[in-house]
Amino acid sequence: MADPFSAYDVLAKRDTPSWNERTRDVIDKRLALAIAENVLGDTQLATLRVIVARVCPDPPDRPATNTLAMIVRKIAEDEGDGYRPHTLPRTAECWRRGLDAIEDEARLRFNCGFASIEPDQADEILYAVESGKMCSELWGNLSPELFWKWRLLPDLVSSHWAQPSLWSAMGFGGPASPRGYVRLTENRHDPWEASEDAATNSSHALSQDHEE
Amino acid sequence: MSGDITHRAAQWIAGGATLVAGSVLSDSAIEHYRGSFANKAMFLPLGASALSIVHDGNLAARGARTGAVGSWTSGTHAASVGVGAAGLGFHVYNIAKQPGGFSLGNFFYQAPIGAPAALVFAGALGAAAHALSSGASALGPVPLQSGRALAGFTALGLAGTAGEAALLHFRGAYHNPAMWLPVTIPPMAALALARTALTGRVHWVTTASLAATAALGLLGTAFHAYGVSRNMGGWKNWRQNLLAGPPVAAPPAFAGVAIAGLGALLLIRRFSRG
Amino acid sequence: MFTHDGWVPMRDYGEDAVDFVIVGTGAGGGTLACKLAEAGFSVIAMDAGAYWRPLEDFASDEQEQTKLYWTDDRIVDGDDPIHLGANNSGKAVGGSTVHYMMVSLRFRPEWFNSRTKLGYGADWPLEWREMWRYYREAEEALCISGPVRYPWGPQRPRYPYRAHPLNAPARYLARGAEKLGIAWSETPIATLSAPRGKAHPCVYRGFCASGCTTNAKQSVLNTWLPRALAAGAEIRDLAMAGRVETKNGRATGVHYFRNGQWRFQCARNVVVAGYAIETPRLLLNSSSSEFPDGLANSSGMVGKNLMVHLNQSVFGYSGDEIRSYKAPPSLALTEHWNYEDRGKDYHGGWCYMAPGPLPADWARTVSAKGKWGAGLLEEMSRYNHAVGLKMVGEVLPYERNRVSLSEQTDRYGLPIARVTFGFGDNERAMRTHALDFMDRALDAVGVTERWRNEEETAHLMGTARMGEDPATSVVNADCRSWDIPNLWVCDGSVFPTSGGVNPSLTIQALACRTGDRIAELAARGEL
Repeated sequence: MADPFSAYDVLAKRDTPSWNERTRDVIDKRLALAIAENVLGDTQLATLRVIVARVCPDPPDRPATNTLAMIVRKIAEDEGDGYRPHTLPRTAECWRRGLDAIEDEARLRFNCGFASIEPDQADEILYAVESGKMCSELWGNLSPELFWKWRLLPDLVSSHWAQPSLWSAMGFGGPASPRGYVRLTENRHDPWEASEDAATNSSHALSQDHEE
Repeated sequence: MSGDITHRAAQWIAGGATLVAGSVLSDSAIEHYRGSFANKAMFLPLGASALSIVHDGNLAARGARTGAVGSWTSGTHAASVGVGAAGLGFHVYNIAKQPGGFSLGNFFYQAPIGAPAALVFAGALGAAAHALSSGASALGPVPLQSGRALAGFTALGLAGTAGEAALLHFRGAYHNPAMWLPVTIPPMAALALARTALTGRVHWVTTASLAATAALGLLGTAFHAYGVSRNMGGWKNWRQNLLAGPPVAAPPAFAGVAIAGLGALLLIRRFSRG
Repeated sequence: MFTHDGWVPMRDYGEDAVDFVIVGTGAGGGTLACKLAEAGFSVIAMDAGAYWRPLEDFASDEQEQTKLYWTDDRIVDGDDPIHLGANNSGKAVGGSTVHYMMVSLRFRPEWFNSRTKLGYGADWPLEWREMWRYYREAEEALCISGPVRYPWGPQRPRYPYRAHPLNAPARYLARGAEKLGIAWSETPIATLSAPRGKAHPCVYRGFCASGCTTNAKQSVLNTWLPRALAAGAEIRDLAMAGRVETKNGRATGVHYFRNGQWRFQCARNVVVAGYAIETPRLLLNSSSSEFPDGLANSSGMVGKNLMVHLNQSVFGYSGDEIRSYKAPPSLALTEHWNYEDRGKDYHGGWCYMAPGPLPADWARTVSAKGKWGAGLLEEMSRYNHAVGLKMVGEVLPYERNRVSLSEQTDRYGLPIARVTFGFGDNERAMRTHALDFMDRALDAVGVTERWRNEEETAHLMGTARMGEDPATSVVNADCRSWDIPNLWVCDGSVFPTSGGVNPSLTIQALACRTGDRIAELAARGEL
């Protein structure tokens, strides 16, 4: 997949008026976040690592992301979102049980740990979690569909799209204070925003049938 | 004696034209930069106003009388008038095709009507100044020497400029009481000047209100510079705030028009004296 | 608040009895704190959240700013369990107005009598003309930027500030409305289009849902509360109320947890303003031998008739670059279907606006249609071309939709809220009509590959409704509880119906009215 904003790096704006002190601090810490130890067992961590890679791959030719470390931190702090279906346990327990069940599912289907199976096989299991077609008894009263929809997917994409590499790859302006934006109308952008590469632009230009 | 006054009046009018053209140059540079120069024609007012500045500034600064107006100079002024008129048409067209059409929101935020009109005004003033200076009695069908036509023209320009300030300061909800100044003093000056144009008599109120308008135009730049600093990030965030804040280059247009008006008064006084 | 490292003096009442203790400092509680303090009462307003200073404490980052949301545990169930947290509740001084979208709309007048005039829902015990005056008070306090002429409803005075320029999504909304032949308007919105005092005008940074770093957003935090402080109110932050104490049929004060210990604040009046989940939770958690079913609950209505708004959307892609991350979302709207009842096979109204999702929010939206892996990454790279329309639609009150207490407890040992919600046929019919219409409006302006996001909801209302009859409502028109004369409720939970517009302005208008009414009652010795 071509990166439509190949010349753009949101981090290059770190020392411009687009970032305030607080934001620099927050993003610096995020980029430096290490995977907390003793939060997950080795197998759980290996399973989570593959899930992150399959569900939220890093954009090619961009600095590696810290998504895995953010999820582990969330589990370590048992951080909630302010709501959960009554059949889902709290964040940490929910993740640990889900990871164990996915590992068990891999062993049942492929006789091999989730971290060691082929990517296609990992995807097959993840699709099965998504649609609730699971065999492992470890799921117990934890619904795979609910786990996927209310825990796994939102946690993963929220952490992944908190990464500057992903902001760059999607052409997002990134942090914006004190400097915001001036040019607000379609097909206009400020010099401190991402420019879209011409080639990908035309492939996106699906409809030009209204005026301008 | 009378020739000296004519020349001095020409210098004042040229000076006014220079200031207006200067305001147009810096304002259109900033505003068309905001518009990313999406249309190549957006460079035209920069060139036209710059040429006007060179020619009119030269006349304003020069002490000696000139001969006949050169074709290069006439061409410059014709270009300013032409580019301004075309810009006016284009800006109106542009507003018409926005969602909402001729709505207040589009007059606030889309291509302004006043700016290209100011370029027309600068070009016409410049042409008049050069014609006066060369001793011509008229510019086309318009008589120059009495100063009354010029006074009427500048009164019109003043009213238009005040109208634009009223519109844009309404957009800013007159959040600062000083924003009322350009919608009170210049209209008074415009009325007084119009009266002078009709009667041919110069009242001290006319002179005083024109002088006040000229001063206000320069003061306005300071106010607008302060206004820019009132935006988030202040002048450190100038790349945004020069565009988002009040236009620093706009108020001198008031000074330019008022100074041209004072030039016209010089001519009128000559007749009322003699 | 308005300068780096700036401080303002604040009164400290200690724990002796004050005239009013208010639990919650959001649109209801914060506004009322200002009104009561300015009327000369001694007021303490407490909030479970922190007293943030936007200029130095707020980052331009979705993840970091989740600190503004109520993320304490709550259980959701029912046929259509709703999303809470970021979506509709705040935990900060200023409440959810610190991260609200600032859309400041008035109710359609008939909605205050929807039972008698329109045949559904319940009547409010209020008259719309009176509310019109209080809307004005709130609009002036928030210095709303809005259009000079508003196309719908009875004429209203000019908004204090002018409307903002439209961003690309708003222009798409406007063009679509024009193509379908309905009116649109710039949205009246509580962010400054010109400087106000020390507050800067909006810089169009687009992080509104993550809190405003510039003070352009006119929230309770930077409008009503500075006034409240100046009038002598105390704001006690990081104070979690656990129980309202009662004795001999009257409230005596509030037990609250602060700095690691439970404390008690005496008060001659208690106002509960915790929004539509924490308000019924606190009333139910305050049950005693005198009030075994919870406070103010002789009608059995505390916690019932929970309403949200339909907040479904249609998205698609344009050939144009849209970049909807710029400027506040919702800069343009149409209230056509709030004021037009012909052609509907359901009750109630809805409006739609032009949303501006930030990356993580957008990733959740795209992934919710079943995208993940390389497909998600690919689709996310088209973010700058995405454009959509999002509705705010009226949900009817049903007693089965409710807030109750779960068996589980939180870190304070308090039973947590269980929020049960399910749509009815009316909501499903409205959703179908709205999504079809918004789909047409996007199609008309060349937006392709459209899809419908059918799950989202927004806002919370109901659960302590006001009314004329003590048997079917919790509070009267003055937001005073029927059962306990010195116990008041002041937030979105008093709404008998939800209307098809964002609720924050109506909550603030109601708080203004309540403040005036309390002052009148006190003057007559009727408190």
